[in-house]
Amino acid sequence: MITTSSKLFYGLGTLSFVGALVWVVAHDGSSLGSVALIFLAISLLFLGGIASYVRDGHVLSTDTAAHASAPAAQSASGNSWWPLASALSLGMVVVGLISSPGIFKVGVALSIAMFGEWMITNWSDRASANAAYNEKVRGWVVHPLEIPVGGALLMTVIVLSFSRIMLSVASESGPIIFAVVGTAVLVSGSLVSVRRGVSKRLVGGACAVALVALIGVGLASAFSGERQELSDASEYDHYAVHPCGEEAEEYDEEASRAVSAKSSVAATVIFKDGELYAEMDGFPDPLTSISLQRSYDLTILFRNESVGEHRMILNYGTVVEDLGGGVTRDSNLQACTALIGEGGEQAIIVRIPKPSSASPQSPYNIVVSGIEDSSIEVLVP
Amino acid sequence: MSTVETMKDRVGETMKNLRRGRAAFKASLAVSALTFLASCARDAPQDTWQPAGPNAEQIDNLQRPVFYVAGVVGAIVFVAVGWAIWRYRDRGQAIPEQTHGKPVVEIVLTVIPALILLGVAIPTAGTIFKLAKTSDTEMTINVTGQQWWWEYDYPAVGSNAEQYGITAPIVTSGQLVIPENTKVLLRVTSRDVIHSYWIPKLNGKKDSVPGRVHLLRLEGAKPGIYAGQCTEFCGLSHAYMRMEAVVLSRADYDAWIANQLEAYTSPEVGTLAAEGEGVFIQQCSRCHQVNGLLNADGTPIISAPDQYLVSGAAPNLTNLMTRNTFAGASWDLLTPECRDDVWKSDSATFGAKYLKGVTTDCLNQKDLREWLRNAPGKKPMYANPENLAATGGKYRGMPALGLTEDQINSIVAYLLERK
Repeated sequence: MITTSSKLFYGLGTLSFVGALVWVVAHDGSSLGSVALIFLAISLLFLGGIASYVRDGHVLSTDTAAHASAPAAQSASGNSWWPLASALSLGMVVVGLISSPGIFKVGVALSIAMFGEWMITNWSDRASANAAYNEKVRGWVVHPLEIPVGGALLMTVIVLSFSRIMLSVASESGPIIFAVVGTAVLVSGSLVSVRRGVSKRLVGGACAVALVALIGVGLASAFSGERQELSDASEYDHYAVHPCGEEAEEYDEEASRAVSAKSSVAATVIFKDGELYAEMDGFPDPLTSISLQRSYDLTILFRNESVGEHRMILNYGTVVEDLGGGVTRDSNLQACTALIGEGGEQAIIVRIPKPSSASPQSPYNIVVSGIEDSSIEVLVP
Repeated sequence: MSTVETMKDRVGETMKNLRRGRAAFKASLAVSALTFLASCARDAPQDTWQPAGPNAEQIDNLQRPVFYVAGVVGAIVFVAVGWAIWRYRDRGQAIPEQTHGKPVVEIVLTVIPALILLGVAIPTAGTIFKLAKTSDTEMTINVTGQQWWWEYDYPAVGSNAEQYGITAPIVTSGQLVIPENTKVLLRVTSRDVIHSYWIPKLNGKKDSVPGRVHLLRLEGAKPGIYAGQCTEFCGLSHAYMRMEAVVLSRADYDAWIANQLEAYTSPEVGTLAAEGEGVFIQQCSRCHQVNGLLNADGTPIISAPDQYLVSGAAPNLTNLMTRNTFAGASWDLLTPECRDDVWKSDSATFGAKYLKGVTTDCLNQKDLREWLRNAPGKKPMYANPENLAATGGKYRGMPALGLTEDQINSIVAYLLERK
């Protein structure tokens, strides 16, 4: 028997099947869309079959008692916030269309989630004549999705808020805050676990207050911005390649040093007592001539063991620059560290594109800015 | 059903089970025999039980006693389990007494394996430290892996220059050439993905990791060729990423170094090889470097593989015909007869035969021409120009260049002179 609702499923199923055929013809045999549409058709026809089998769940018109006890006759279990949330999500979609693609995408994702929740809640409200059972059924369907997604969102909010706080406070205060917060969480958790009589409401309330406080401080930190040295690093782009001059640049003051010291380097260049030499694994003696591979991300560590600040410079040939209008010029290829104080070190990563034989007029070498009489010959085969 | 019929059914079922059991037993016996016979292969160049240098011998000295101990323990366990299965098989008898906890047995069965492991651990730790030693290095070579070949770069610095006469950097591929009884230290790294360097007869494996330099000792006790294989899955042609270590006597090694450092000589004008030089410059020098090759204006021709290849490197072909292999040591440059003549020669004559390189008569024309005709058809590589979007238009491996047969003839003639 073809019932009212099954007609809809059969119709959509047939339409999907026709769509799959059209897809194959229109896309020159491409199978991806047609496979999806055929699966859709099978699903819809299956649902149509079920609707026909259960006759749309209709009760007989003569069974008057069933009219009152049928699931469809029950009222909803409570007020639903999903319509409001769906409306707000749709509003976000509209705002996103006008303002930015990011807001639009978030709005679309939220709309799908909110409408889905609304649909499932409506369905579960009338799953049976028992409101408590209906609530349980809703949980079975949506909790496997709601709980992990909610947990991930909560973690995101906590991490984002905490990171904003850590980026805004002074670098010396960061470890203290981290230790204090960690200790507070550990102590609170231990207390809750050993005292069995603690009410769930109390724990939940305390967690909620802590979360609100964290979000509040996080927002305040985000508005106040990152601490000075980090904003300077962004402004002056400390981590990019800079001119290798002798004078101090802005980035020399705050350039990252310890972080970039790598555990496995191609060569360690040492400047000691006015002399420059290199150490490489496999060569027991100090080297004044080193061989480096071509087309390879080389990590070279510079260590300053001399008095004062010094900058290491690697010269690796020239490149022809196109200045436009048919005008070209040869530019030196250089990579350099920041000015490194006595006892400090910094690694640079450089990829040398051509062998040293390509630039006989400008030999590859490593020098220290301002020191004329000491250099390391660099051979690139 | 009568009692007789029931008995007949039971007997029939038992016979069926017996036949099935015999078939399974025969099959497992056949598999075991085949596995055992496989260990008798005569041509097994990557056999880990045939060390040919002090480092591999260190490993062998460790693995043999461990293997014997493990073998005896394994045999005892298998026999005990088999005996228990047979002796206490279900024959309808009553379930035996169930016991829980026999302290003496438990302590003995804990202490014995612990002592065995301790016995294995002490020499293992000693071997690890011996194989990690670098202070006695006599020669250093950079080994760089990329999809799907190995590059060897002999730095012209330190003891390499002072004691072995490497006065200018030497770059080669496929075959690592080292002097006999010399403590060579390999600085192993990678340009693209993780590979693993392994010449089983000379030492254990060492991963080559982009951005890191790993050290591996290598020493060959007598002249010969020792085969190896990349042992870290590294993409489509991982199985074709092979390598060979060639050990030469000191005198032969000096001759090899001198030959590698010889200046480039252009083919005689008007020859097929001279024509091939032109084709090479046009078609191959974008990626492959031949040291000494010059432009018409006298400037050196510098290849730019970083512009065309994901790894940023292609084999240096300056002295291609001094090697016995090509394309990641996947194919021989020598015909099978000439290859056998080199590989199977004794230590005294090996060096002279190897140093002859590839002659016209010995060139494996078939594989080399097939390679030049359509490299990706011979060795699977990501070299279809239509599918390079993910790599920004760069190839992994060598693409098909669409060379004509005349161009291939001339390139082969040109390459034959590269030694």
